[in-house]
Amino acid sequence: MSVIKPHLRRYAWGSFWAILSAVIIAGASLWQPKLLQKVINAILAGNNDKVMSLGIDLVIIAVIGLIAGVLNTIFAAKVSMGMAADIREAAYRKIQTFSFGNVERFSAGNLVVRLTNDITQIQTLLMNVFQMLIRVPIMFVGALILALNTIPQLWWIIVIQIVLVVGVVTGTFGRMGKRFGLMQHLIDRVNELAKENLAGVRVVKSFNQETNEQKRFNKVSDDLNDQNIAVGIIFSIIIPAFMLIGSLAVASAIYFTGDIAKTHPGAVAAIASFINYLMQIMFAIINGGMMLTFSARAMVSLGRLNEIMQTTPDVTYKADAPASELTGSVNFDHVSFTYEGDDQPTLKDVSFNVQPGEMIGIVGATGSGKSTLAQLIPRLFDPQSGTVSVGGTDLRDVNERSLRKAVAFVLQRAILFSGTIAQNLQQGLKSADEKDMDRASRIAQASEFIDRLPERYDAAIEERSSNFSGGQKQRLSITRGVIGQPKILILDDSTSALDAESEKLVQEALNDELKGTTTFVIAEKISSVVHADRILVLDQGQLVGEGTHQELVKSNAVYQEIYHTQKGKEEA
Amino acid sequence: MSDVTRSMRFFYHYLKRYKISFLIITIGIIIGTYFQVKAPIFMGKAITALAKYVFGLMHGVDDKGNFVHFIWLLVIYFILGAVGTFISTIVVTYVTGNATNRMRRGLFAKLQRMTIRFFDSHQDGDVLSRFTSDLDNISNALNQALAQIMTNAAMMVGILIVMFQQNVKMAWVTIASAPVAILLAAFLIRQTRKYTDIQQDAVGSLNGYVNEQISGQKIIITNGLQQDSIDGFLPHNKEVKDATTTAQTYSGMLFPLMQGMSLVNTAIVIFFGSWLALNSGMGRAAALGLVVVFVQYSQQFYQPITQVSTLYSMFQLAVTGARRLNQMFDEPEETQPEQGLTIPDKLTGAALKDVRFSYNEGREILHGVSIDVEPGHMVALVGPTGSGKTTVMNLLNRFYDVDSGAVTIDDTDVRELGLKQLRDHVGIVLQDSVLFSGTIGFNIKYGRPEASDDEMIAAAKQANIHDFIMTLDDGYDTKVTDENAIFSTGQKQLISIARTILTNPSLLILDEATSNVDTVTESRIQKAMDTVVQGRTSFVIAHRLKTILNADKIVVLKDGNVIEQGTHQELLAAHGFYSELYHNQFVFE
Repeated sequence: MSVIKPHLRRYAWGSFWAILSAVIIAGASLWQPKLLQKVINAILAGNNDKVMSLGIDLVIIAVIGLIAGVLNTIFAAKVSMGMAADIREAAYRKIQTFSFGNVERFSAGNLVVRLTNDITQIQTLLMNVFQMLIRVPIMFVGALILALNTIPQLWWIIVIQIVLVVGVVTGTFGRMGKRFGLMQHLIDRVNELAKENLAGVRVVKSFNQETNEQKRFNKVSDDLNDQNIAVGIIFSIIIPAFMLIGSLAVASAIYFTGDIAKTHPGAVAAIASFINYLMQIMFAIINGGMMLTFSARAMVSLGRLNEIMQTTPDVTYKADAPASELTGSVNFDHVSFTYEGDDQPTLKDVSFNVQPGEMIGIVGATGSGKSTLAQLIPRLFDPQSGTVSVGGTDLRDVNERSLRKAVAFVLQRAILFSGTIAQNLQQGLKSADEKDMDRASRIAQASEFIDRLPERYDAAIEERSSNFSGGQKQRLSITRGVIGQPKILILDDSTSALDAESEKLVQEALNDELKGTTTFVIAEKISSVVHADRILVLDQGQLVGEGTHQELVKSNAVYQEIYHTQKGKEEA
Repeated sequence: MSDVTRSMRFFYHYLKRYKISFLIITIGIIIGTYFQVKAPIFMGKAITALAKYVFGLMHGVDDKGNFVHFIWLLVIYFILGAVGTFISTIVVTYVTGNATNRMRRGLFAKLQRMTIRFFDSHQDGDVLSRFTSDLDNISNALNQALAQIMTNAAMMVGILIVMFQQNVKMAWVTIASAPVAILLAAFLIRQTRKYTDIQQDAVGSLNGYVNEQISGQKIIITNGLQQDSIDGFLPHNKEVKDATTTAQTYSGMLFPLMQGMSLVNTAIVIFFGSWLALNSGMGRAAALGLVVVFVQYSQQFYQPITQVSTLYSMFQLAVTGARRLNQMFDEPEETQPEQGLTIPDKLTGAALKDVRFSYNEGREILHGVSIDVEPGHMVALVGPTGSGKTTVMNLLNRFYDVDSGAVTIDDTDVRELGLKQLRDHVGIVLQDSVLFSGTIGFNIKYGRPEASDDEMIAAAKQANIHDFIMTLDDGYDTKVTDENAIFSTGQKQLISIARTILTNPSLLILDEATSNVDTVTESRIQKAMDTVVQGRTSFVIAHRLKTILNADKIVVLKDGNVIEQGTHQELLAAHGFYSELYHNQFVFE
């Protein structure tokens, strides 16, 4: 509920009209049997004029009900869709305040699902609430009062009917809810099996496992079918059950009216409207039960959005931190870092100093903490202990804008956004013009293929950047990194898709054009860092070596091991 | 229209075996409808009798007999109506459940028979959605629409007949507004479809944007682009808001509008009925019954109109679903000779003889490739991306067939072999290893489920993965899926090597992984690869220098041609493409 509350105000009027029209619809539905009763009375009394005027009333009320129905839909749609969009916007804005750690904890895919599927669920719920749910209590209470008022002596029929209907609803809908859970699980299994058979189709075929896969699938499919049929059976029972309950109530109402008529002859005229109210009571309960069952899913979705809204960003910047031009020095002072949920620290007591303009290589086995170390520099995470400083400022006290301007981070997996090349490059420097782009793309060796595109920087990047090769994407990603002439440039294994020749050219260009820039190169291949001023060697989160390639190759055991496994040539 | 006829044929195919069930359903529906339509007559008669009884009371006559008689009939008809409905819905449940299940099983079975070409040229997501949304739509439509449409049609006809039997004038009044209602419903359905399409487009592009942005959140954070991301989000969100508002207004309108029409119609019926009662000289008691009965009919008559219009979109989705399933069933299947030749159980040689091949007509990938491997030898295929290495692999165990030329094993064309025979002999280890959901043991025994645990462990040991598996709490019984992160990429590859070792193929195709693996795993893979090729004829798409150096023969592919082949020394001495490749790619100092 706390997700919806803040947005209610804006739609106060819309909600008011939606609710009012729903009340009018309920009123019209409730009033019609009453008028029917009066008409019958008038027929029995042979009062022609009365019949005519009541008939006109009946038509007018029905038309009002119809108009209210139309208005209700219009306002319900306006309010529900508007509120859903506002909730989505609020959640999106909230996510944009998240630190990278926050995003990773949810996982990007999960956040997307929450912003899309979960919002759709909420949207449907809201629509149902405004169109149906608010009518349920009005109809129930109204029909109940009117039924009692019409033939008070038959109160016990009403009570028995309510007890029976509520009994059927609670007995079956709850059971169905459970079945739906099981069904969803089996549907997921069907999907999983189909998906892995698509992904592994070559394996299935080459191991001749087609028949076994079919057996595996058929078992799940049959289980799913059993659940489907079980739910179907419940449905097959409840519909006739409601029909029966309603019919028996009607029959007994007519029967007992006979007795009542002995003392109250007016009951004969009332019987038709009494029957109508009985039906309205029954449908109100059924509708209510159905709405509650189906809104269970939306409640889960609300909870999931609430989680987003309640999350506190774990990296926040001091609003009063003064903007300043940071220099390219980087300082790690006894830095330890553990990912949430891990028992082992990923970085253990790492300390080093880097002067502006240095080129630093970082090597180590997978899982040694290279990328984690790099991610601390642009403050994607805060270390649990120790300090990371850039330009002499502790990152916890830094101005966000100044830090972003100073540090550029090029990821291992080049991520480009759909749009034009220029739009992607401008993410690194908003004011970038063609000259800036030319300069940066020359450094990243991207100009070579950009120049061949007829639209050059206006060339479109498709979704998932599928129209560019891995190497081209990496070069564009590096271009974006260098375009803002950062004080510090971090290349996180970001030349892995380039051939040896292009990689060398990129490094040379960086050396020439970005002399004053501190560069961190994280690499799997030692060949990428041999020319670095200094190389940091990481092993299981610890800094185990520091020096030039020549020094390390002589003295550092970890470095030697990596070096030897990669140097196949000597063994030829 | 042909779409609908084809879909109908599809449904007929799956439903024709349930003829008897359909007979029962039809009988159930007829019984249910008959009694449901008749019941209001007795209600009317009961009320008429009630009124007469009360009039009688006023004149001192207390005769309940007639009155109670009609109530009994009313109750019996109600119960029989409910029984009929129960019978038909329960049979429908079984029929649609089983029919859908057969479609699902059939679709999966079809998948297993289709060619690799299909899977390579279709997106997994698109195929998957046939298992989920398309089958779902069909099942929903069968479950609800089928019985409903039959019931509603029967109801409509029944009510019309009974109404005209009861009173012709009242009947005309009751159905007078129906054309307006139907036209309105048709209009709303059209608008709903139109705006739902627009809504889907808007939602699709919003989802695309959100997905892209949040997946790239690292870039957004490190470049401080959060506000720009929000600015980009807002127009998408507004578009979705506007589109959903319109679409939901139209689709949400249908039900209240039809209900409102029904209410108005009931009012008209009451109005006219009372007028008729007073002006046609019929008895008051009879008139009372007539009005009550037609109030019931007016509501019952509108029900099918409302129902069918809500079912219409469901029906449309099912037709689309059937069309999309049909597309799958029309896809060609793998072919093999009826009496496939067998391969002797010994070490085999293999050869490609002047093979030409294209994935798409007009774009030839291999231009007359000939490669020869002697029994027990290892051939390393090298060459730049796009040179045709993977294609050669695809041809060896008939994932694809050559356009011309031939692929042979021991001089027998692979197309003359039984598919199972061929694939039992040819083992592959792919670059991207796939795990199936199940235990680790299941995955290792995948190609030979009947293998003993000892054999499985031996294979895992040979593949250098046994020790790691033993560190897991549940060992070989640990549950895995392709997505969960128990195994790294490298370890997954070791599992798939163990899987291949266990099936003991005589001819092996290996595609070395290029992805970054850490040094330790790397050397494990290397050792496992060395083990697995021993005593087998093998083709290796080589990325590691060591592998290439170990090969008996190196075949260099470029642009779909074999440009050089020979041993490492021979090729170096030739100073050709290989030697250049060797010096560029593997040198790092």
